[in-house]
Order: sequence, then C-alpha cells, then structure tokens
Amino acid sequence: MTALDSGARVWAGLAVTPSSELMFIVGVLLAGALAGEFIAATTRLPRVVGYTLAGCFAAAFGHGVAMPLGGAAQTVTDLALGLLLFEIGSRVHLRWLKRNPGLAVTSLAEALLSAVAVAFVLRLFDVGWQTAVACAILAMPAPAAVSGRVALELGAEGQVTQRATLLTALNTLYAVVALILMRTWWAADDGGSLPQALAGLAISLLTTLGVAALLAGATYLAARRLDLRNESAALLLFGLVAFAIVAARSIGVSTLLMPLLAGLLLRNTSERPWVWPRHFGTSGGALVLMLFVIVGSAWSPKILVAGGFAALALLAARFAVKTLAIVALSRWSGASWRQGLALSITMTPLSATALVMLSELMRAEPELTAGAVPIILASIAVLELIGPIAVQFALRLAGELPPAPKRARPNKEAS
Amino acid sequence: MSLGVFSKSEPLTLGVELELQIVNNDDYDLAPVSGDLLRLMGKHKIPGNVTPEITSSMIELSTGVCQGFGQALSELGQIRDALVDCAERLDVSLCGGGTHPFQHWTRRRIFETPRFHELSSLYGYLSKQFTVFGQHVHVGCPSADDALVLLHGMSRFIPHLIALAASSPFVQGEDTGFNSARLNSVFAFPLSGRAPFVQTWSEFEVFFTKMMRTGVVKGMKDFYWDIRPKPEFGTIEVRVLDTPLTIEKAAALAGFIQCLAHWMTTEKPFKLSEDDYLPYTFNRFQACRFGLDGTFVDPETGEHRVLRDDLTTVLSRLDTHAGDLHAEAALQYLRREINGVGNDAAWLRRIEDENHLLPEVVRRATKRWHG
Repeated sequence: MTALDSGARVWAGLAVTPSSELMFIVGVLLAGALAGEFIAATTRLPRVVGYTLAGCFAAAFGHGVAMPLGGAAQTVTDLALGLLLFEIGSRVHLRWLKRNPGLAVTSLAEALLSAVAVAFVLRLFDVGWQTAVACAILAMPAPAAVSGRVALELGAEGQVTQRATLLTALNTLYAVVALILMRTWWAADDGGSLPQALAGLAISLLTTLGVAALLAGATYLAARRLDLRNESAALLLFGLVAFAIVAARSIGVSTLLMPLLAGLLLRNTSERPWVWPRHFGTSGGALVLMLFVIVGSAWSPKILVAGGFAALALLAARFAVKTLAIVALSRWSGASWRQGLALSITMTPLSATALVMLSELMRAEPELTAGAVPIILASIAVLELIGPIAVQFALRLAGELPPAPKRARPNKEAS
Repeated sequence: MSLGVFSKSEPLTLGVELELQIVNNDDYDLAPVSGDLLRLMGKHKIPGNVTPEITSSMIELSTGVCQGFGQALSELGQIRDALVDCAERLDVSLCGGGTHPFQHWTRRRIFETPRFHELSSLYGYLSKQFTVFGQHVHVGCPSADDALVLLHGMSRFIPHLIALAASSPFVQGEDTGFNSARLNSVFAFPLSGRAPFVQTWSEFEVFFTKMMRTGVVKGMKDFYWDIRPKPEFGTIEVRVLDTPLTIEKAAALAGFIQCLAHWMTTEKPFKLSEDDYLPYTFNRFQACRFGLDGTFVDPETGEHRVLRDDLTTVLSRLDTHAGDLHAEAALQYLRREINGVGNDAAWLRRIEDENHLLPEVVRRATKRWHG
C-alpha cells in the first residue's frame, strides 16, 4: 500500500455524509448570502432582493420548497418569523391607539376592508365561498419581514416606518385570530357543534397566551439582569424565544400568535425600554436571510399558471382597498397624504406570514384548502421581488431614508 | 448686512427659547420627526412660537415677551402641553437635557431649509455634532448702550448660570465627567466665546464693521457668543444654559436672570473692567466640568470660592429684587437644587447609576419634561 493510499483510507474513515437537512440549510445560506451581496454590490437595492432572487432561481429549476412546509424549511421559517414577530410586538405601544383613534380606525379599516374586497373579487372569478374567505384571511397580514428588513438595512426612520410596524403587528393579530375562528367554523360545519368549536378556540387562545406570558416573563427577568444591547447577552434572548417557538410548535400553539403576543405583553406591561440588537444581530440575520430564500422558492411555474388571474385580481383589490383606507384616514391619524401613500405601499408585500398560515391550513384541512393554495402561492410569487423594491421606493417617497453620502468639498466657505 | 438699529424694548422683560429633543418611545434614541410635529402644532393656538432646528430630531419653542417668572412659566406650560399632545399622537416623546445621552451624530439628518444646508456644508460634521440643546433667555434693554453694560455685568455670572443649568453629562453613550458637555461642542465654533469689551453701541458698530470687512461674518447670527446683543429685539441674549429637564426649571432660570438684571441696573454693584474677563475662561471651564462644586475666581479680588457658596451669597442679595419682580418662587426652586438635590446633570447621573441603561435615563427624563 502506498503512502497515498493509506492517507486516503484514513481520510475516508473520517468522512460523514451530510444529512439532507444540513445540505438544505447550508445551500440556502450560501445561495442567499451570495445573491444578497451581489445585489448590494451591483445595485442600490436592498439585499433581501438578492435573497429572494436566490429562492426564485431554485424554484424556477424545480427545486423550490414543498408545501406544506416540513423539516428544515419549517424549522427555519418558524424561528425566523417568530423572532421577527416577537420583536415587532415588543415595539408596539397599544396606548398609541388610544391617543390616536384615527390610527386605530386605519388599522381596522385596512385589514378588514381589504379582506372583504379580496373575498368579493375572488367570487367574481367563480371561486367558492370557502376558498374566497380563506384567501381573504391569508392575504390580510402585511409581512413581518419585508418592510422591517428593508427599513433596517437602509437605516430608515420616521413615522411611516413606525406606523408600518404597528399596522403589521395588528393585521397579523387579526389574521391569525380570524384563521383560528375560520377553522373552528369549518370544524363545526363538519359535524361538531358550534359551542364545542368556540370552546376549542378559547382553549387555543388561552394556551397561546399562557406560553406567551411565560416567554415575556423570562425575557423580563433576563433583561433586568443583563445588558441585552451586548450581542452575546442577546443570544440568551434568542435562545429563549427559539425555545418558546419550538415548544409552541410541539404542543400545537400558533407559532405566529405566541411570539407576537409575548412581545406585546413585554412592551405593554412595563414602561422600561427593551433594547437588543435589531433582528437579534447576526444570528437573527442569518435566519431572516434563509426565510427570504425559502419564501422566494415557494412556487412553481405550474402554480403560477393555476393561480393566474385570480391572484392578480386579489393583489389589485388588496392594494386598492388598503391604499384607499390608509390615505383617506391619513389626516385624521396625523399623517400627510404622502405618508399615507407610502404607508400603503409598505403594507403591500405578501410573504412569509401568509405562507406559514397557508402551510398550517394545508396540514389541518388539506381538502378545504386546496383551492386557495395556487392563488396564495402565485400572489406571493408575484410580489416577492417587487415588494422590497416598492418598500424602498415608499420609504424614499416619505423622506425616511438617510440622504446618500456626498463627497465633502475641502475648504469650502459658506456662500 | 449692516447691524441695523437697536430696537426699543421694555426694560427687564423676558423671552425664553428652548431647544428640545424628540425621541422615540422604543429605544429612546432621537427621532427625526420635527416636520410631523410642526404640522400637527399648526392646529394648536399657543403663545409664542415653535420652529424647526438644524437637525430633524430637534425643535425649538419660544415664549412671547413676558413680564416675569410667572408669565414665562404659564406660557411655557401652554406650549409644552400642546407639544406633548402632538408628540403623543405620533408615539414620540419630548425631552430636555443639553445633550442626548447616546445618539450618534453620524445618524442625524439636516432639516430641509437652505440656511441649514448652508451651515451644514460650511461646518461639516460640526453641524451634526451640534445636535445639542440649549436654553436662551432674552432680557429687554431700554437702549443699546444699556444693553452692552448689562451684557458685561452679566458675564460675571456666566459660570453660575452654567453650573445651575448643566444637564449634559453624557455624550455618545459615555459619561464625559463634565456637568455641561454641551458647551464643549459650542466652543468648537470659530466665533464662540465672549463679546469684545466695548460699552457703547457706537464702539460696537466699529467692531462689527471691521469684522464685516474681514468677510468672516455676515450678521449677528454668525457670533456664537455666550451672551450677545440682539438688535432686532432690543435685548441681550444669554446662551450658555443647557435646556433643563423641566419647564419649571427653565422658568426659574429666566426669573433668576431677570433678578440679576434688576440688581445690576438698579444698584450698579460692580465697576466694569476689561480685567473682569481675565479669569473668564477658567471660571467657565470649572463650571462646565464640576458644576456647582466648581471653583469660582472673583474677578475683582482674585479670591477662590466654591460656586455653590458664591451662588448662595448671590441669591441672598437678590431676595429684595425677587420681591419687586414676584420671582421669589424662582429663587426658591434654585435654592432647593443648590442645597440639596443638585442640578439636572446630577439627577441624570443618579438615574444612570441606578439603572445602568441610558435609554431608561432618557425615558425618565421625558417623564419629567411631559410633567
């Protein structure tokens, strides 16, 4: 045996075939980061466009994620979205709604009226009532990831950014509660009784609230003792939220509602500021990157054709009604019409939240959901690249992006 | 632009200007929403005025012409309440203090007006470093010559005023060790410091014309002096105060200045001399650095005293004047700080010592401002 052979044998002994889950995570991370940096280096667009593009390419060549989500894709999506919703919740003061009733009405109007409009428009396309209502609820939430990530990356600050956070938290809340209600209603239609279904809803909400309260309490204790502005200390918080989300998934509690409620509880039960690195720093950033790649890959050319015009009509109705509601109420809520328009555009994208809700619905009620799947997936696909670019445009329209750096002219006197 | 005529104003009337911080209610960093706040303020009827400042997370309020402490407090209260009402509709807060404890100057944005952009292009990063917040007090003067005499008399009390008002111990997330770190930013400007020692308006006009000829200044606005005459209003303007954490303190400081002016114009207790300025920068540094515990060098005798003790003496001399001006409550407010709780800088440090979290310090400061 030559030295080379024996070396190769030792080496072969050390080799472990990677699991498919590991391959998936590494592949997603690498493709997303590469595309994101390419976009950042060659254009002025936010990196999320690159992340999404990586997903789109995978899907176009038939390697998109399968629905309903499972395995590593589900774990990553749960964690990333959970972290984002926890953070969004922890930035929302509900007392703002009391001090600014115009904003409270704006929130209800943009969410409910757009859902009603979506349902009616889909009926025009001969979509059944059940599917139309399901689509309306799934299209209600603005994405937790898109406007937040674009604003964070571009350093946007101001009323539109702040109001987008509030409206996103609220319409996600409405949508998840509406989804649970719809499922209990379907269950009742199925032969169960209505009181039984309502009791089921109450139990589901109370359990969610219980887990959320535990998470909020644990975060409170950690934040009082540690300086969470330090990224290493913030890892503990990351671990706590991740643990709560995994626990929630294992006992069937909504992984969207639980972290959102926990954040809201934390923010609204104590006046103390809660400060940690936005999106949990680099660790959260990696998850958010993978979230964009996964959502970007959740379509196929076949689905686009199947969803087709119904999806386009859904998006048109949704955008028109959200814009109408927000712009009409902007003066009452203390914003200018230009800010109103910008806010409507930041509410337009449709992404991970809808995808996770769809996935949960598919798993629970596969037959009843079948009609909604192509419409929602096609809608997400249509908006996923335009969405972040539109958000960037809207934030510029509202004057919330920092000015592009100018080169300083040396020794310039005031003229 | 020439210096113009010195307008007539009623002697010893007051005007108060305050530069305020606008902060978000999330991590309590500065929030660039002065445009929104001003738009909402349009619907409120207030005495005085609210105007934008150089960066969009600052706002300036000013009272009208006030007879004394009581009116100043009442006008500040009305403006404060209107501003707080608008701020709450935007889910932001307002805050006093001479600096924001942890804002980063690179993130500040210049408010959209030509003058602010011009200043920004001239001063570069200084204009953003200049995200500091001061209180200016105008005192009415019967004539231009009287104004200059009062200005130089008042200069002797600049250290006292700095120490009382100091509320800027933290800058860019660090404890600077100073009571008023804000003034260090002001001193970086080329035309900061003190006015030249001239006691008549004609001599001042000669100085101003010479400065104009050098091309260094174009108007009084280009002088960043600690006290400067304001010919348009017929006042002198005291500019060394950090914005206090409450309107009560702001009104008390204005009342104190009015008492000092009343004392100096009625009793003429000092003979003015150029030599008064020999210990000026030393005294000013001591006040900025150590606040009420700083050393005060008496310009006449050369005696060294602790500012706190000298203030106690000064306040006791002002009691009869405070009686004439109905400003007893103002002096009482300041006595409480001198003898007990300390200035606002001490309060801010205490809160940071208890919490080790500057955002919490800002939150508590907003509570005090909102009243």
